[in-house]
Amino acid sequence: MEQEKLEEILRVIELCRDVESSSANPFDVDIKEKISLLRLRLPEWKFLDELLVDSEAMLELAQIVKLQDEWLKHRASSLYIDPLLIQLKVKLLAKEALSEAFIKSWHPVAQIDQISPRGLEKAFVYWRDLTSMSDRFKNQFGTYGTRPGTVDYTELVSLGIFTPEEFEGTLTVLHDELLQKSNGEWVDYHQFIGDVSFEDKVRRAYLLAFLISEGKALLRTEPLSGKIWTMAVAEKAKGAPKSVAISITGEG
Amino acid sequence: MRRHLGRDYRKIVEVLTEDVAPMGLEVFEVKGADGSEDSSRFLLRFKEPPTVSEAETSGIRIDDLAVLAATIAFINSKQGRVARREVEQFLREKFPRWRVDYSLDRYVKRGYLEQDERTMLHIGWRTHAEVDEKTLMTLILSRAQEAAKK
Repeated sequence: MEQEKLEEILRVIELCRDVESSSANPFDVDIKEKISLLRLRLPEWKFLDELLVDSEAMLELAQIVKLQDEWLKHRASSLYIDPLLIQLKVKLLAKEALSEAFIKSWHPVAQIDQISPRGLEKAFVYWRDLTSMSDRFKNQFGTYGTRPGTVDYTELVSLGIFTPEEFEGTLTVLHDELLQKSNGEWVDYHQFIGDVSFEDKVRRAYLLAFLISEGKALLRTEPLSGKIWTMAVAEKAKGAPKSVAISITGEG
Repeated sequence: MRRHLGRDYRKIVEVLTEDVAPMGLEVFEVKGADGSEDSSRFLLRFKEPPTVSEAETSGIRIDDLAVLAATIAFINSKQGRVARREVEQFLREKFPRWRVDYSLDRYVKRGYLEQDERTMLHIGWRTHAEVDEKTLMTLILSRAQEAAKK
């Protein structure tokens, strides 16, 4: 029985806390009724814990009265507008119109940002003692942060991107494909390497460059039109090798 | 101010207001929570609102201001206090989630909004100091009517 009575008071506390932590109307709590309940139960409490629960409930009710006061003040001010109406209006407005409304009612506080001589000195010391970027990279990543350069086949193998067997196999597949497509004729280089994704395009261009370097494919450029042609050869080509730089973009 | 300038400190504030007026500034009084004179704070602020282009050149993003405008309007419509999750839900119908979270945190930090221990959002001191809330609410309502007519 005692437990039930105590639970009644705990429910009052719970109700007050729910209202405090939501935007519910604080007038939903019937203060008069709750205070009558507390008054009725007060003579029955014998232990300190029970009295503490009672005073906690009283405190929570006082908070609700405070909220009711604020609620009334706000409602009486001209700032009150039906929340549903505001939600609708905000939804209707473009972001630009919303920000323009804000700017037209905005009076920014004037402020001066300035640095003191002490701050200036601290900044100077900081920059003076700051380790250079290259040293910081070296400390953090060792020699990993090297300048841009070229990666050769052995490095790719050592990085685990290719295994020797896989690489040889892929080269043969690409060579066969070029042999079939060119069939003794020149084929458009970009058309040949161009595939679904950029990554794939780069991969095919890299492999084709390997075939060309090995003399298993030929490359012909037309400087005036910018066109590049390629052709597979069954036998290894002979002659002086030449370097050609080809840029590959992510487009088309 | 009463202690340092004497009982007539308001007259000094008035003189200061006149002095800063040619610079386009004004001394603005922000009443404290209890509304008493002792809890008031005095700030120097722009007399006239900036133009849209001035606001843009100051590095403020239009989208961020739109979030703040919508939040102030929403909080005011809910008697000045709303659960943060409710504000987030409301804003997410119009703005991307990342912008809502980022902007709310930033405006709480800058004092435009206040968040209590129950994660309820209130209007912050800086909004009271810088924003003419009545004008803002009126403009939002009137602009929305124009938008609806179009």
